[in-house]
Amino acid sequence: METAELKEQLKKQVVEFLNLSTVNPADIKDDEPLFGEGLGLDSIDSIELIVLLGREYGVDIKDPKEGRKILTSINTMAAYIEEHRTK
Amino acid sequence: MYIHQTYCISAQQDLLQDDIEQINEPIDKKLLAIEPSYEKIPPGILRRMGKSIRMGVGAALPLISETKVDGIILGSANAGMDDCVKFLNQMVQYEEGQLTPGSFVQSTGNVIAGQLGLITKNKGYNITHIHLGLAFENALLDAMMQLNANASNSYLVGGVDEISPFHYNIETLAGSYKSEDISNKKLYESDSPGCVVGEGATMFIVNNSADGAIAKVKAISSLHSSDLDLVQQQLKSFLQKNLAEGETIDLFLSGENGDNRTLPFYQAVESIAGEDTAIVRYKHMTGDFATASALGLWYACQFLKNQSLPGHMLKRQSSKAAFSNILIYNNFKGVQHSFVLVSAN
Repeated sequence: METAELKEQLKKQVVEFLNLSTVNPADIKDDEPLFGEGLGLDSIDSIELIVLLGREYGVDIKDPKEGRKILTSINTMAAYIEEHRTK
Repeated sequence: MYIHQTYCISAQQDLLQDDIEQINEPIDKKLLAIEPSYEKIPPGILRRMGKSIRMGVGAALPLISETKVDGIILGSANAGMDDCVKFLNQMVQYEEGQLTPGSFVQSTGNVIAGQLGLITKNKGYNITHIHLGLAFENALLDAMMQLNANASNSYLVGGVDEISPFHYNIETLAGSYKSEDISNKKLYESDSPGCVVGEGATMFIVNNSADGAIAKVKAISSLHSSDLDLVQQQLKSFLQKNLAEGETIDLFLSGENGDNRTLPFYQAVESIAGEDTAIVRYKHMTGDFATASALGLWYACQFLKNQSLPGHMLKRQSSKAAFSNILIYNNFKGVQHSFVLVSAN
């Protein structure tokens, strides 16, 4: 899967997993912060995203510090998935 | 115990709609709630809420964001069951591996009262009664007992239930709902088993102060039985105990729901309520569900306040010019019975 295609898929999955019914996946910018400013996600969302990566891509995040970096934006998530995916 | 404020979310935009032709009808045999835009619920919290939680929190916040209460007492037969089922399905699907927390957080019986406590920072008494068709009545009874112990307190009391896919399927298999497609406008003409399912959330602010109250809940009684004679006996002693000499029931608010299996109970209660008692039905407007009787109490409050009601709700008229005492009788599945006596302030 091409990186651009993976990012589009990730955006759709983030919207679906987190019930972001008012957000259009296409409106999420690749480098937009997912937490705090930007999408404004919170700590429960971070667990939902970790589960998403595990279920959909076989990516296992065990270190919380590492998780914080990986879940910064769609770009960082896509880069980590491409390197570590098992699915 | 006095009722001061009410709020509800139901299958109708206007539960007091005079023209029966204008009322909402079932969609796919379900009287689905008309949900508001929930402006008082923070968007980040709203997106995680299942329907019953949205309805419950959405019906309560307009009341308790303005009025401070000392506790939150709800009745809900199923509460967050839909999310509970989602969570359990995930456990099976992912072999107890990676599970999302959202459904788990929303899946408990006390989730609505809990969310309300968190959102409004209310650290008082917080409980949900879950006794199916008596869940709301037990919440009311609890509020009365709390007010006996803490006379100056105010409480939020309410009833909430949703039509979740899981619950709908189970109840359909159990024969709880009508198998034929019928209009709620002709609900009481149907001579068949089952009801038309509905959903909703109804909230009340209650306390011991008569000043400015809409209505007074004088007494509540409930029993589990399928014995018609026992129900009649209980009603007679309930009225004897709670009506003063010469006092009568002006309006009998019947929970009749079109199910021919429970109709004999309603007819028996009608015969005891008195010959010159108006008989009023409401479940063609709301549908039936475990805590639909909370909407019955909402109706009683409106009738006492307005001293009028839509003609299509009347089963039998009375010669009385005003309503002062209202008896609400609800029967859930032929075995859970409740009597609530409400009077004008």
